[in-house]
Amino acid sequence: MSTGAKKRIMREYGECMSDTPPGMKITFDEQNMTEWEILLDGPEQSVYAGGHFKLKLTFPNEYPFKPPVVSFKTKIYHPNVSNDDKGSMCLGLLRPEEWKPPNKVVAVLRLIQTLLIEPNPDDAIEPSIANEYKENRKEFDKTAKDWVKRYAK
Amino acid sequence: MMSRPSVLAAGFHAYPPPAFEHVVHHHHPGVSYRPLPTSRPPELPAGYSQQHTGHHARTATQVRMSGPAYMASDEELAQLQKLSQDYQPETTGPLVGERQSTSALAHEYRDADPAYRVKTASLPDKYAFFRTCRGDGHCGWRAIAFTYFEALLRAADVTRLEDEHVRLRSMHNLLNHAGFAEDVYNDFADEAFELLQRLADSLRALDGSADAVLLDAFNDPSVAMSIITYFKLLASAWIQSHPNDYAPFLDYDVKTYCSLNIEAAQCEIDHVGINALAEAVVKPIGFALEVLYLDRSQGQGDEIDTHRFEPTAPNGQPLQSITTMRLLYRPGHYDILYKVEDVASPMLQQQQPVPTQAPLQVNLAGYTDEFVPMSSNMPDIMTMIPGLYPSGIGQRWPSLSYDCDPNPVPQPQITPVSAYAPTPTPAAPVASSHQEYITPVRASHISYHNPPSNHIQLQPPVNIPMHPAPPQPSLSIDRGPAIVERGGPFRPSMYELEPGFGSGQPHSLPFQTSIFRNSHYNTAHFLNPDFQPEEWSPDSEYATGNRGRHKSTSQ
Repeated sequence: MSTGAKKRIMREYGECMSDTPPGMKITFDEQNMTEWEILLDGPEQSVYAGGHFKLKLTFPNEYPFKPPVVSFKTKIYHPNVSNDDKGSMCLGLLRPEEWKPPNKVVAVLRLIQTLLIEPNPDDAIEPSIANEYKENRKEFDKTAKDWVKRYAK
Repeated sequence: MMSRPSVLAAGFHAYPPPAFEHVVHHHHPGVSYRPLPTSRPPELPAGYSQQHTGHHARTATQVRMSGPAYMASDEELAQLQKLSQDYQPETTGPLVGERQSTSALAHEYRDADPAYRVKTASLPDKYAFFRTCRGDGHCGWRAIAFTYFEALLRAADVTRLEDEHVRLRSMHNLLNHAGFAEDVYNDFADEAFELLQRLADSLRALDGSADAVLLDAFNDPSVAMSIITYFKLLASAWIQSHPNDYAPFLDYDVKTYCSLNIEAAQCEIDHVGINALAEAVVKPIGFALEVLYLDRSQGQGDEIDTHRFEPTAPNGQPLQSITTMRLLYRPGHYDILYKVEDVASPMLQQQQPVPTQAPLQVNLAGYTDEFVPMSSNMPDIMTMIPGLYPSGIGQRWPSLSYDCDPNPVPQPQITPVSAYAPTPTPAAPVASSHQEYITPVRASHISYHNPPSNHIQLQPPVNIPMHPAPPQPSLSIDRGPAIVERGGPFRPSMYELEPGFGSGQPHSLPFQTSIFRNSHYNTAHFLNPDFQPEEWSPDSEYATGNRGRHKSTSQ
């Protein structure tokens, strides 16, 4: 990783610390600044309220010319998060072809929060969950809340 | 002149003819590419494209025919389909390659279909060199950024580089206006400014390293991507600040277009992007940008279609002497192209260091002035430096004479230079006082007969007029060749004796052996620069017993 990239990550960390989006806690290891651990509270107005989700944010060596990689370490029932051990989230500005080098991590964190409040079933990574979200919202809400109790307490 | 971006968020890949698929650089999957100006005929193989649908992880490949001019057979199509599936992005090779002859291009296409063969065959006549850019989805941006810096170097003008820094910085208003965060774009801009700075430094140093500095910078992925990103942001800001010029050519609003096709990390340049960079960065400094389209389009005969962005002076008139940046476009890829005259000036620039001799001479002269007296005190150290005293006069003779050692055993002092100067003949039992006189005479003798040799002999000639020395035949015969050695590490100096110096004493030369008389060191020899015919002197005729020797001067 170039010094420019490191400099930028450090600066972004400073920014995130001074202006952390509410309900979020960032842990940062000086030794390995390319991997951030994020503790995210389920937003109150969402089905994930009361849950605490652990996420990993990984910066590629080519950062900021490639997007950071977001993965949920805590299982979550969500159309935009892959339902496997990776828990990867890849949409919008996180997509390599849509990522812009001037984008900042804060924007990524806000996007994650927004997606918890309002999933985007049209750009889903889990089509069945997206389908359920659109067709049978009640069932979706029930499963999502159930998963929060089981995995995110 | 501008293209309409065809499909939103869809990739478009054009492929080379099957026969030489290894030649053309492929693109990274997911790279959007829409460079085709609307006026251009369908690219090769016409209308063949790979479409990326929605999610990058779930790409559907779809073959469709759209070009009416080109009907591929099923077999060809199947082969193309296979190519498309086996497609690997090119990840090897330098980001920006060395400049090479365009005959290599003609060679690459020798087995291609006639449209390409004819065009590439005519290429080397007009464009002598080209340079590859890695086809990783940034090649068009990279090619323009690289040629921009290279064109700046062509002028070999430090002031111009500094002016460019100021001008680019003045464009940051546009970036702010377009809503880019200053701390973020400064990261990218700083890399560009630092490169300008380094190029200016190496121009100042006149060490001819500027070209290498530039090539290295563009082969450093982090530096190159920063500069490319900076250029993209400038292009985006330019488009957003001139929406009326661009909006008619775009399918979406300006902001969305810039976000998807200019600012996105992975997007190849399209015609709108080239236009914006030409307007924002290239034309304002009086550079022209030319894009040659090497494709199937039927131009005039074997001509390659060219699009040129021409700079204009503030008064609207075309500029006179224009530096032109040239790109070679092949479907889906950009390289850099040169005419012979584009390359000429950097070579001249490398020759510039030559005039910097003056300080060198001054230093040397000061050094030798100091050195000569000192040498008698510490003869050994400096003589350890090979080549410093080719003749050995500076230190050898003084040490002999000041030591006043009549015994001809100077070996200890001479040892270090023995490889250079022949040992004095022990058989010459000379009085030290004689040697003292001889030395200056010999030295002056050398310096005015052999001006370019070296100026260590500056000091001694002062003594010339004072002591016309008695003849020392044996010495002069033995040592002559050693002392007269030419060359040495020193260039001619303004402090050197003038050619005519000392010529007032042409007849005082004591060395009248037959060998000397017949050499051009004798002023009576026709090759001597101070040639003066011998005059008959009645007095000397009788005083001289042997004509070849001991002809003492008689004035």
